Amino acid sequence: MLRPARDRARLLCGLGAGALLLWSLAGSGVLGGPVLNPAGVGQLTRFAAGALHPDLSGELLGVLARATLVTVAYAVLGAGLAVALGALGAVAAARTTWGRRRAGWVAVRGALAVPRGLHEAVWGLLLVGVLGLDPWVGVLAIGVPYGAVTARVFADLLDEAPHGGYEALRAAGAGAGVAVLYGLVPEASGGMLSYAFYRLECAVRSAVVLGLIGAGGLGQELALSFTSLRWEQVWSAVYALAALCLLADVAGRAVRRRVAAPPPRATGRRDPVLTGAVLATAALALWSAWFLALRPATLVDGRTLDQLGTLLRAAWPPAGDGPLLSEIAVRAVETVQMSVLAIAVAVAGSLVLAGVAARAPRGTGAVRWAAGAAVRAGLLLLRAVPAPVWALVFVFVLLPGPLPGALALGVHTLGVLGRLSAEAVEELDPRPVAALTALGAAPLGRWLYGVLPGVARPATAFALYRWEVALRDTVLVGLLGAGGLGVLLSARLAAFDWPAVATVLAATVLLTLAVDLVGARVRAVLR
Amino acid sequence: MPRPRAARSGGPEHARTAIGRPAPRRPGPGPGRPTFGRRGFLTGSALAMAAALAGCGDRRSPVGPAPSGALSVGAIPDQDPEVLARLYGTVADAMSAALDLEVVYRPVTDYAAAVSLFRTGDLDLVWFGGLTGVQARLQTPGAVPVAQRDVDAAFHSVFVVDAATGLAPADDLRALAPLRFTYGSETSTSGRLMPAWFLRRAGVDPQGFPGGPGFSGSHDATLALVGSGSYQAGVLNEQVWAARTADGSVAPSVVEYARTPAYHDYHWLLGPAAVDRLGADLPDRVRSWLLGLPPGDEVLELFGAGSFLPTDASAYDQIEAIGRELGLIT
Repeated sequence: MLRPARDRARLLCGLGAGALLLWSLAGSGVLGGPVLNPAGVGQLTRFAAGALHPDLSGELLGVLARATLVTVAYAVLGAGLAVALGALGAVAAARTTWGRRRAGWVAVRGALAVPRGLHEAVWGLLLVGVLGLDPWVGVLAIGVPYGAVTARVFADLLDEAPHGGYEALRAAGAGAGVAVLYGLVPEASGGMLSYAFYRLECAVRSAVVLGLIGAGGLGQELALSFTSLRWEQVWSAVYALAALCLLADVAGRAVRRRVAAPPPRATGRRDPVLTGAVLATAALALWSAWFLALRPATLVDGRTLDQLGTLLRAAWPPAGDGPLLSEIAVRAVETVQMSVLAIAVAVAGSLVLAGVAARAPRGTGAVRWAAGAAVRAGLLLLRAVPAPVWALVFVFVLLPGPLPGALALGVHTLGVLGRLSAEAVEELDPRPVAALTALGAAPLGRWLYGVLPGVARPATAFALYRWEVALRDTVLVGLLGAGGLGVLLSARLAAFDWPAVATVLAATVLLTLAVDLVGARVRAVLR
Repeated sequence: MPRPRAARSGGPEHARTAIGRPAPRRPGPGPGRPTFGRRGFLTGSALAMAAALAGCGDRRSPVGPAPSGALSVGAIPDQDPEVLARLYGTVADAMSAALDLEVVYRPVTDYAAAVSLFRTGDLDLVWFGGLTGVQARLQTPGAVPVAQRDVDAAFHSVFVVDAATGLAPADDLRALAPLRFTYGSETSTSGRLMPAWFLRRAGVDPQGFPGGPGFSGSHDATLALVGSGSYQAGVLNEQVWAARTADGSVAPSVVEYARTPAYHDYHWLLGPAAVDRLGADLPDRVRSWLLGLPPGDEVLELFGAGSFLPTDASAYDQIEAIGRELGLIT
């Protein structure tokens, strides 16, 4: 039996995680010296007061309404492009396609790590330099990195789907591509549909980050008001964004539930709800393309190619001088430490909150219902406020350093992770909790013995996945003393030092790939 | 142990593949598997997409470039960019009426993006800071500085400190070296470049403060951070400092410590593509409109200017030299 070896591997993973966390804490300066800045409460209060008095003037609401349309269009087209690219890439990235030719599979997976390793905002900044003011900037900045992630996930779904039909087609002499298309894709289509809608939810948040770099939409309005710290206006934009996130979450969740637990009905009939959802999304994509006036010809016209050539010539060869490389090494360590702290905060927070945030079964009291709704609303706001805003707010009450940056990423990630964990709790077998309740256990006991054991594993798996995301998000929060590769990138971009930018980007991709490999290894051990 | 509900959970065994809730495997075709009439659906949506893209035709994108007959105007996000962005009609209408041209204002949220958009020709006339103006001119051969404000020929930055440091106003910048210090935006002339230069001249390493200097991102954020005490000192544009002190929004704990010597800062820069499209006399037309604005004009108010004055490239030679020395121009 493999059990003991597996347990040993898990123990090692646990110890490794503990050591990593301690090392990151030491790096953040929490263990030595003061980190709090009580005098900053006044500034924090100004920020919080804005939440109670958002700017609701008709003029701003009009601006936000138009901006919301742009954000929706970016999100829908970005996610749509990602799904299209993912479907194409999945066949190339599936183990099934390559069989024993492992080298080809590794090469494809490695190639997918490049677009995935760069943050959407970085893609956006690079694309602005090539395409200028064009709606493609927002669509591609979401679609390209998301497409690479989607290709990988779709490939995994294909590999995990039952292979009976595929084997039969192959045995009957069908080519590999045809066999995958007709033997595997139908088997994996439910999972793919679920994931496509999950991507759409994420794309709404990414569309906002793109606004911060000037691609338009809600994020741009938020960034303009944030520059002058007009908190009432910032909060109006945050509420608009939260409403949008909520809408995407609710719709996406409904679709995913439907896929996971279809209602019984006659064989061969299509589920009208799912068909409706797909058609509605397709219609929304068409409207988005019309609204943004997207022209495919822009991608290959003379000016675009010209600018692309200029950029590539400026960046080649990438810088390789000693001082830059050693600074990259130092900053990479900061990036890893910051991302580890962020994930630790998010995991701890989501384990504590998941039980309350989960929708209570029917028949529970009004207090429990209200607490659940409040926590869910809180999590929604945590993820609706962009990480750079959290970073500034945390620096009001904490001394500058890696800690406020890590916390900013941590609470933002908590907003995402808390919701996913709460959904995992809703899916748990309700009987242990019911039994504990019947035996008269206190709420803490119920959480400790009924909820925590069941949710710890999915939460850890989600957390490992989000670790890679948090690592890339460090780009957004480093400028107030937090450090990380983002600081270096931002400084070199500001100076238009393209060779150094190329090197820093390559380092970022490698770091993301390393974290991804570690995460995949640990997930395999946990399974 | 059978756990009927948990089967839906997409628990850890699936978490590797999809962070959402993936479907469980279902052997073979059966009820509930979403099957679309694939060919019909794909063909239909491809056709519809093509129709939508073709139908875009002459529709102008809300985030796209201005039409080629129009002049597109922008400004770096410096002081109150949201006011400028949301009152853009004022600037665009006034300019449009005076120049007899269609004028489109495009708000920008990022200094580097403004420079890139000027290079790609998507922004024709941009209100740049000293440093961003030089960067834009170096990347866009043929660009010409058109005008500056009356205050820009002798602009200053203000070093502010938290009163808790006990520092009294003085000219010696060396007292700032042991403090937690923040600049504004990285390529801001008044919030970064010139203060860093004067710090270096005073013998203070501009990158050397405890924990490294912060980059707050904007003049207002610098004020808020020094006001919170997280940073003990910072530096910002004198105009923002004057405006915020006048309206009383500065925390009482923030006090002026020193003021830099004068330098050239903001200016309007006109790109070569606009001159090609709209006529060789465009620079003169824009310049004479800006210079002829009557005192108290709305556009002057928006830009915090008493009047606009002529300027030329040589006024920014010092900025360029300093930018190169500090590694902000490569």
